[in-house]
Amino acid sequence: MHPVLLIAIPLLVAFIIPLFKKYGPSIALGALALNTGISIALFSVVYSTGTVHEIIAGFAPPIGIFLAVDSLSALLAMIINLFALINFMAIGKASEYKFSMLYLLAVAGSTGIVITGDIFNMFVFFEITAVASYALVASRKDKKSMEGAIKYMILGSLGSIFILIGIALIYSQLKSLNIYDIASRISTMDAKIKWASVAMLLTGIGVEAEIFPLNGWVPDAYQGASGGVASLLSFGPSKAAIYAIARIMLVIFPLQKVYYLVLTIGVITLLIGELAALKQENVKRMLAYSSIGQMGLITIAIAMGMNEKNAILAIFFLMVSHASSKASLFLLSDSSGMGSAATKYTGIVSVLGIVGMPPFAGFWGKWYLLMAAINGNMLWVIVLIFFSGIVEAAYFARYLHRYYGNEESFSRLTKYSMAVLATMSLIFGLLPLIYEMGLKTLFGMGGV
Amino acid sequence: MLDIILAEILVAAIITFFVGRKLAAIIAMAVSILPLIALLDWASLYGFNIIHLGIEKSISIPIAGVSLNLAITPLGWFFALMIIPLFPAIMLFSYSFYKKNDGFYPFMLLALLSSIGIIMAKDMLTFFLFWEMMSWSSFLLVYRSRDKEAVMSYFIFSSLSAFLIFLGILIIYQQNASLLLSSINIESNAYGVVAIISLIAGFAIKSVLMPLHAWAPYVYSKSDEPFVAFLAGGLSKLGYYGMFLILFILAGAKVLETYFTNLSPNYILAVFGALSAFIATLIAFMQDDMRKLLAYSSIGQLGYIAIGFGIGTPLAVSGALFQAFNHAFFKAVLFLAAGAVAYRTGKWKISELGGVGYRMPFTFMATLFAIFTLAAIPITSGFAAKWLLYESAIDAKYIFVAPIMLIAGVGAFLYSFRILYGVFLGENRYPNIKEAPKSMVAAMFILVMPLLIFLIFPGYMLDMMHDALISGNIATLNHNAFVIETSLASYNTIAVIVALMIALIPAILIYKTRKHRVVDFMDNYLAGELPELYDNKISMHAASRFYKPIEEIIGPYFEPGTMSYYMAIYRGLKAISDAVRKIYTGKAGDYAIYVTLFLLIIMGWFIWM
Amino acid sequence: MDVSAIMIKSAVVIAYAFIGTFIGLLFLGVGRKIVARVHNRVGPPFYQGFIDVAKLLSKKTNISHGWIFDLALLFSISGILLAFAFLPVGGIKLLSTDGDAFLVLYLLAIPALGFALGAGASGNPNAGIGVMRALVMMLSYELPFVITMIALMIYYDTTSIARIVELQSVNGISSWAIFIPPFMLAAAVADMALQGMLMEQPFDIPVAPHEIASGPMVEFGGKYLGTLMLYKAISIVVETTLFVDFFLGGGVIMHGGIVANIANFIVWFVLIFIVFTLSLLINTAFPRFRIEQAFTFYWKYEAILATVALIWVYWMVI
Repeated sequence: MHPVLLIAIPLLVAFIIPLFKKYGPSIALGALALNTGISIALFSVVYSTGTVHEIIAGFAPPIGIFLAVDSLSALLAMIINLFALINFMAIGKASEYKFSMLYLLAVAGSTGIVITGDIFNMFVFFEITAVASYALVASRKDKKSMEGAIKYMILGSLGSIFILIGIALIYSQLKSLNIYDIASRISTMDAKIKWASVAMLLTGIGVEAEIFPLNGWVPDAYQGASGGVASLLSFGPSKAAIYAIARIMLVIFPLQKVYYLVLTIGVITLLIGELAALKQENVKRMLAYSSIGQMGLITIAIAMGMNEKNAILAIFFLMVSHASSKASLFLLSDSSGMGSAATKYTGIVSVLGIVGMPPFAGFWGKWYLLMAAINGNMLWVIVLIFFSGIVEAAYFARYLHRYYGNEESFSRLTKYSMAVLATMSLIFGLLPLIYEMGLKTLFGMGGV
Repeated sequence: MLDIILAEILVAAIITFFVGRKLAAIIAMAVSILPLIALLDWASLYGFNIIHLGIEKSISIPIAGVSLNLAITPLGWFFALMIIPLFPAIMLFSYSFYKKNDGFYPFMLLALLSSIGIIMAKDMLTFFLFWEMMSWSSFLLVYRSRDKEAVMSYFIFSSLSAFLIFLGILIIYQQNASLLLSSINIESNAYGVVAIISLIAGFAIKSVLMPLHAWAPYVYSKSDEPFVAFLAGGLSKLGYYGMFLILFILAGAKVLETYFTNLSPNYILAVFGALSAFIATLIAFMQDDMRKLLAYSSIGQLGYIAIGFGIGTPLAVSGALFQAFNHAFFKAVLFLAAGAVAYRTGKWKISELGGVGYRMPFTFMATLFAIFTLAAIPITSGFAAKWLLYESAIDAKYIFVAPIMLIAGVGAFLYSFRILYGVFLGENRYPNIKEAPKSMVAAMFILVMPLLIFLIFPGYMLDMMHDALISGNIATLNHNAFVIETSLASYNTIAVIVALMIALIPAILIYKTRKHRVVDFMDNYLAGELPELYDNKISMHAASRFYKPIEEIIGPYFEPGTMSYYMAIYRGLKAISDAVRKIYTGKAGDYAIYVTLFLLIIMGWFIWM
Repeated sequence: MDVSAIMIKSAVVIAYAFIGTFIGLLFLGVGRKIVARVHNRVGPPFYQGFIDVAKLLSKKTNISHGWIFDLALLFSISGILLAFAFLPVGGIKLLSTDGDAFLVLYLLAIPALGFALGAGASGNPNAGIGVMRALVMMLSYELPFVITMIALMIYYDTTSIARIVELQSVNGISSWAIFIPPFMLAAAVADMALQGMLMEQPFDIPVAPHEIASGPMVEFGGKYLGTLMLYKAISIVVETTLFVDFFLGGGVIMHGGIVANIANFIVWFVLIFIVFTLSLLINTAFPRFRIEQAFTFYWKYEAILATVALIWVYWMVI
């Protein structure tokens, strides 16, 4: 199964959809299902063989376009596509053909970011994802969503510019866009330009990855977006972006200076996100702040991943955990209650998953992250993570208390879809899949 | 076998999610039989040949790529003795307690599963994993109360507890590069001490040691009684299991002693325990809600265990474990009795109850016996436990702990009588209620049984904890089935029982030789004179603010309450949260400035580094 | 221990139980006589206690309120006899080697509990109030009392009353605890606690004659009241003996031989009589405290004095 299909199918279908307006959503669903199948197949290949490299258009790297699927990207590709499928089913009737088209574009872009091995392609996919996301956020067509979309767009464009400058700086020095190639020759770069490009890339991708203080758009965009879109944003673009950071930090610039920087950014993002969520009364905003906090946690894991095997495992678990729990919570946030058994289940399982209770994936995420932290002798990080964990527990307890048992108006399909999404965290917390994947070396990373 | 036990409980948990209430109760009861049999079988490992099936005792479960190691240890076995037997009885009670199956059974089974996991964990990961599972499954049971204070305080305190324990585990892991309990050796340095203290604080939250008890009065008083019986009786012991593990099996007590050469930090645990026992007792008898009273009583009674662990001598630890065992059963009975009373009357407030015991004599009998054990009336097993603890305090010359502990024992009479009189005796306010359903009564009497056994044979209890004590490097006491000898005195149950028999002779003689006539209480002091007052519901029951004179003196000292301090912290956090939220101004321009500033700062960082 | 030894021991205990009951009833009458004399009245004859109990126990009409009410009768007399059996009396150890001070302390609670249950089952709110006062009084006086008791235990490094008595009698009267400075203070504190235990003025609010229809026993009559009187009588002996055992060497002045036993018995009797008379004299001299006043008195002043004694002893021992 060629990994490029993962990008090609949704892109292609997205442009066909306008031709079949009425059947748009169904076609999109089919494409997503197909994509999910491919991503699972890809996952199983990577699971058994390690990394997969594919070259497109016949040129050998560093010139040709290059796809590099390592263990984390295989996992993320599967998560994004699988969740996108379930999420699309959950959105159900709300999706008309334009929406379906944008949705497919966002999925294709996010998938592209995680499987590409070329930083310029990465930029292109970022753009596709971002543009689709702006439109998706605005798709509710009310004042709030417009406001969110505009803020998202302003910051997103700013970010894109920085990414482009960063890439340009690297290209000017190394004449290469291949991550592999750049990583092997990074020491030959001029120091000042190297640091400037790191700063630019980090800033640019950071906007999409919701790290503080680049995440000003997050509360407004999530609040403005419908539940399904917010859910997509939480497992799609943001995960892809944080993965891009992981790739850039872990593969291209695994340097001590970057290490402390990213760690500090992660801790600050975590604290700001969790604290801001505590007093937030609007559910979607609260979940948005909580997402920021979770992104901080993943960023910390990425920073630690430079020196620590446990932290790599933590990245895997945290990403899956957050994707699953937050997606279902966002879907749930469309209605102000959990009335039926399925929604109650979704609410409880997602909250348990997100605060890191065993045997959900979040537990393992926190476990390995803190194991890594203690191995690195960083008691202060541990204490801050605990502190934010308690704050998180406080507002999720309040959330559950407030919404549990109220009336709700979801269709049956929506309810079951979100229940399935929430269950993913449990499945990945029980099966050894992530653990096995995490043990495989990440692409380009030497000893870790 | 252990894996079969865990698997069947898990499967039962899933099945009970879908079936009706009666079937669910029966399934839950049935699956808890196997662990009971296994418990009896494992007893042969520790010198009691009850049955011998040769059920193996060590397994590992693969989960998410790692394996969880479980094994039956002497300490685990002893704690299993006080947790597992509660379960079938509580299920029996719940058989007629619930009107529908709405999530009680599956989570109870999960709580049981995780408790078994905790006490049989062979490594810290397993321990912590099951600890967290226990936390959330019990949280979901608390959640059924839908009471804001209960739900939020339980969730937050559980998280706090989990994080404190996690911190301790992490430090231990760093020092040993291993999580296997058998290979852990806590170093005597600042880190090791932090680990021990944070673990103990984490466990203390679950064991409701003051001042970390603040959640308990809310949770205990708002959740369903069958669950609270399991929470107060069984799950609260898990915290003490952890403390025993850290202090004695992993030799944390020694580490603390070597680190703080000049003062004994264990003393502090004992002082917290004593204050817990004392203050909770005083607060308990001022309560009007039966369940709140029992909650404070639990806090007080569990404080004694902390005292025992704090003193740490063989006498003290034996007493503490004995007290833990007793508390498991009598507190379960008391909460179930509260549930039975509420089932019939629908009331919780003592001032609204009264005279229930005349119509529910069996419930009253079970309660009475449980209260005798709680108040440590000789010859109940409660007395043997408290006696060991008192002896140990004198032996260790803890002049602060000993009087406080003793006066708390006296205070227990006060709140005991509050229940006996306020709920069961006094004015016959519920002349038309029936005795609780048979299954409820049976459940209460089953739980009373173990207390009766150790009433006569306190020595057997010491035999049962023998191996657990040895595994914690604690010597055992000089005893036989009836007599416990210490360096200070001895306690002989047979002498007391025989003397009691003899002393009962004159009493029975007087009672039997003179005939008496039983009359309704209305016949006596009212003498038919104030019927219209009585009909107008003018209370003839001195139950509202029973201890008013003393309440007015000591009440103000407990006025703001511990929870208000925690609430102040919470409000402070919210204020910070509000400030943080202001960072997100909502203006796109500001955000763009943030982005630019961020870029400049990290560039500055790179230049500076 | 073989059967005959057990039989002998039982016989001795039973004999002492009779003697204790007799002395108690005697004290009831004598006490009334003494109080009357202080009040400058003639008072009833010294054997009034016997007459009262005999009359009550022979009543034909006995009113009960069910089985819980009957517990009062069963618990009160058996509990107090049990407590008596575990005290060393005039050098005779009885069963006191099989238990200790904590056991006696808790055995003393059994009659109180039975009494309280009976009063509760009577359904009379006055009885409930009386029990509340009795329990609060108990909580009040127990604090100074247990502190002094702990001081003794720490000093003698034992909790067994028999052993405390033994250690006090090694050098005759001069080694009695009351002659050791901190225990002079402790004895004064314990004596006031004893006042509460005996429910004499100023701490007689639980029974509060003339106030709440005789408090907890308002519904008791006939054999029930008779038993309660018996209980009251024995409890005087038990409580004064407890004090004598703790501070006055249990009245032991000689060792060995039948003469010593008789002498010790006489000394014990004289001592408990003195302690009882002292309590009566205090009784006559003071008005009644309200319950909260009693509580404050015990938990504030008495407890502080007792703590001083305890710390003093601790400092001596360490």
